[in-house]
Amino acid sequence: MEINSLNPIDISLSGLQAQSKNIEIISSNVANAQSTNNGNGQPYRRIEAEMTTNTENMDGVNLDNIIEDMSEFPTIFKPGHPSADERGYVKVPNVTLPTEMMNLNIAARAYQANTAVLKRYQQMVETTLELLR
Amino acid sequence: MISFDPTISSAMPVSGMGGMDKANAKTTGSAGSSGFGDAIKAVENQVSKVDDLQQSSDVSIQDLLTGKNEDLNSVVSAVAKADMSFKLLVGVRNKLIEAYTQTMNMQV
Repeated sequence: MEINSLNPIDISLSGLQAQSKNIEIISSNVANAQSTNNGNGQPYRRIEAEMTTNTENMDGVNLDNIIEDMSEFPTIFKPGHPSADERGYVKVPNVTLPTEMMNLNIAARAYQANTAVLKRYQQMVETTLELLR
Repeated sequence: MISFDPTISSAMPVSGMGGMDKANAKTTGSAGSSGFGDAIKAVENQVSKVDDLQQSSDVSIQDLLTGKNEDLNSVVSAVAKADMSFKLLVGVRNKLIEAYTQTMNMQV
């Protein structure tokens, strides 16, 4: 397999982009943690990123699929709420903030790891070029 | 681990450290030109490749600043690529010039 000296940059870049998208998804979940109506009378459904890879070509990570979390909506007692049923219960989004915070930490750390690889690779190339001097 | 194969030795008619391949032997044999001139030509090719990378990084910076592109990561990677290839070019150029001046200052 051919080794291109710029490949690690592209691979780390795919990791950076995937983690940015991941953080975008998490921010959507957090922002909509109280959204009881998505326009169709249903509360906001939590979304999650699905990361895929192509091991044959080593071209980094892809984040093409965004999957919905199909777990059940919890209900809270809120009579008088426009979305409340006849017993006064309102379906709320299946977002749990502690989980999102943990996922946010994981995504931020993964982003950091990718930048660390990128930085270290640049240093390695510079060290190699020192040999020319 | 780091191989500058696709960028340099493909453009470089002079065989660097490995054995000479057939095409190489033919060019040096028939033309009989100096390896130094070939190296200069290879650097010319490399300059245009580095220039391409520089221009794409310029374009991505422009796109970011004008709001056409909002992906900071791709801009950073384009700049990093341009930076790395430029450093390689400068390193090779310095080495070539050093070799040239050393040869010119040689006592005959």
